[in-house]
Amino acid sequence: MKPALLLAVACAIATPAVSETFHWAGTTDPNTMDPHAGNSAPVLGFLNNIYEGLVRRGTDMAIEPSLATSWEPIGNGEGWRFILREGVTFHDGSDFNAEDVVFSYQRAASEASDVRSWFASVTDVVAVDDYTVDILTSNPQPIFPDSIANWMMMDSGWTMASSADLPAPGEGNFATLNANGTGPYVLAERQPGLETVLEPFEGWWGEERGNVTRGIFTPIDNSATAVAALLAGDVDMINPVPVQDADRLDGVDGVRLIRGTEARVIMFGFSQDKDTLFGTDDANPFLDVRVRQAVAHAINVPAILQTIMRGSAEPAAQLVGAEMNGFSEGLAMRPGLDLDRARALLTDAGYPDGFSFLLKCPNDRYINDESVCQATVAMLAQIGLDAQLDAIPVSNYWPELREDNYDMYLLGWSPGTFDAEHPFRFLVHTPQDNIGTWNFGGYSNARVDELIPAIQSEIDPVARQAMLDEVAATVQDDVVYVPLYIQPLLWGAADNIELTQRVDNFFILRWVTVE
Amino acid sequence: MLAYTIRRIAQSIFVLFVVGLVAFSMFRFVGDPVDNMLGQERTQEDVERLREQLGLDQPFIVQYFRFLEQAAQGNFGLSYRQGRPVAEILLERAPATLELAFVSGMMALAGGIALGIFTAIRRRGFGANVVMTLSLIGVSLPTFLIGILLIYLFSVELGWLPSFGRGEVVEVGGWTTGFLTASGLKALILPSITLGLYQMTLIMRLVRTEMLEVLRMDYIRFARARGLREKSINFRHALKNTLVPVITITGLQLGSIIAFAIITETVFQWPGVGLLFINAIQFVDIPVMAAYLMLISVMFVGINLIVDMLYFAIDPRLRADRTSGGH
Repeated sequence: MKPALLLAVACAIATPAVSETFHWAGTTDPNTMDPHAGNSAPVLGFLNNIYEGLVRRGTDMAIEPSLATSWEPIGNGEGWRFILREGVTFHDGSDFNAEDVVFSYQRAASEASDVRSWFASVTDVVAVDDYTVDILTSNPQPIFPDSIANWMMMDSGWTMASSADLPAPGEGNFATLNANGTGPYVLAERQPGLETVLEPFEGWWGEERGNVTRGIFTPIDNSATAVAALLAGDVDMINPVPVQDADRLDGVDGVRLIRGTEARVIMFGFSQDKDTLFGTDDANPFLDVRVRQAVAHAINVPAILQTIMRGSAEPAAQLVGAEMNGFSEGLAMRPGLDLDRARALLTDAGYPDGFSFLLKCPNDRYINDESVCQATVAMLAQIGLDAQLDAIPVSNYWPELREDNYDMYLLGWSPGTFDAEHPFRFLVHTPQDNIGTWNFGGYSNARVDELIPAIQSEIDPVARQAMLDEVAATVQDDVVYVPLYIQPLLWGAADNIELTQRVDNFFILRWVTVE
Repeated sequence: MLAYTIRRIAQSIFVLFVVGLVAFSMFRFVGDPVDNMLGQERTQEDVERLREQLGLDQPFIVQYFRFLEQAAQGNFGLSYRQGRPVAEILLERAPATLELAFVSGMMALAGGIALGIFTAIRRRGFGANVVMTLSLIGVSLPTFLIGILLIYLFSVELGWLPSFGRGEVVEVGGWTTGFLTASGLKALILPSITLGLYQMTLIMRLVRTEMLEVLRMDYIRFARARGLREKSINFRHALKNTLVPVITITGLQLGSIIAFAIITETVFQWPGVGLLFINAIQFVDIPVMAAYLMLISVMFVGINLIVDMLYFAIDPRLRADRTSGGH
């Protein structure tokens, strides 16, 4: 990788009236260009412009054909058959066929892969002929196509020839800095942490693509610098806009604010498997559901949304938002603000005078996370609860939660499959080796644990929804979490830029038109 | 002389070891890199496997000695974030920081000396008082605030200068330079002012004080009495004698310009080693943090060692102490 060059070529081209160079900035640089070596939104979002999967998500987040033109279940839930698109080539000119799918499965499901959890139920991938692939699963997987929208296809020849036949997340290899996908854009230049340039792939199979001829991504860590760069016209789009700058940006000529909601739900969780409060010998009050209900009734979510989120976010009642598949329509009401009821619940539970406990929060993970926790401390004080807030950087936060150093904590969850089952699997199932891995509080319910695998393999949508509703109702009744709101998506763009925002915060260059 | 030199070098090496030890003992408080490296669908097994693979399950002393062992062979390891050799990344980023430090250092020196002379000669003048008052702002405003203010004025409002980045750079034998293009030079202006403002006011105040001191000396009075021209007195006689301490301070400040470029680089998204370090902290990229801290401490220890050796060469009293007794 040669450092240098070209940033200013963009500036030079940018002066004439008609320009198709598009310069955008985000806070996080994708740390790899290898689609199987990273499982984070910055990596997968960026690589969606270069690589493609068998299926992809449209502007409405629904699954649509991509490298596969159609798919159907095999037999009675033994797997899925995908019919591949013919005439697709990789950026280096080689053909895409079933062999590449089998190879991409082996690579993505390998020990070194960061995305192998997607293939936990897959037993084999078989190339039936050049353009037909059977993916066999150990049990029925009704939403399998939904779960592989980010499983990207790599060319077996290119990958082997460059000795990148296995992903290498820690060490890096040729595929960390170079890419060869089938997608609408070619990786023209990659300078990690500085600048990444995309150019249209002339041989792309698709047609719906904006007019950007050169897309330049620059990570800008400091949000004030990013806002200034947008206002100065040095970049055409920034993600995110800090909440406190949102209104101001709205009032400036030449730029506009694009407001949406992300798929991420912000919630509070509780310690539910420890006998004592952190650092004391006192009994853990959060084991009592009435205490958790009291907390839910004491937090004034509308006030948080109005003052801290400046009206940009929507309240949440479940672990997923209403746009997600499998959302339980009947459970859309969140517990209302009711301080008298909260106090009565605490009295019933034996804490008429409240108690003191440790509230852990990140201070650089979610939008205004620390402010939300500070507001919560004040709200809980009204019912006599004395929350000791400890707000720390996210790189220290997860280890602290893993070590149980909290009594109540803040968590955000974005369902990777856009399905209500996803948070149940990670946040509600009893913690085990590979399930319930983010259920820090240790909530455990035998009925829920029984329902989750049943949901995963239920093919009938009505029966599936009934089970999802049952789990969602249990989660609400037991106040396993107190969902607060759905995090807003705030992007800023120049007025001459047309774009589409996706709720998973992926930035799709194909949907950008420079006017 | 030899004994003194060996002693000083041994002391320097000891300081480096201690800096490294302190750095490594603190890395675990920065956080856990594993969560950043694995996605949300990771299992506990993945976490432990990766931690073992990276050697993070070992006590920090063991990690430190592993690092030293590798570093002694010129290997600073692979960045967790980029999966590339740390040495390669540092070399790639170094030109940006060094060019910025050089330009802001030169700016600070030239501006500081000029304004220092001006305020010393026109001690009671209106202009000098304005400059002195403004210089207080330079000393007291935090760097990031100055940076943001400059960006809003010159990039957002006036649109004269770029708000971030290095502009177009040209590669000359493995060194990327912004000196050869118009956009590269324009991009240097705001970050250099931001970084150099504090040093400039420092030098200005130093020059002014020294100059006022010198102007009170007898030889200046005699020069005046001899009827020499004011210009000749100020610049040929007074200025020359004020420069010695200025040069010493500038040399020592060069290290801090490079080390404290971190904030300026963050505000301007300047792609140097300081920004790299900030990113490394956010990601808990231990190999990059370790290499950067060692690099900076080598630089500081090196500068101090050279200064000590120069003093030794200049100041005979130090030599006297060594040879016990003497005068």
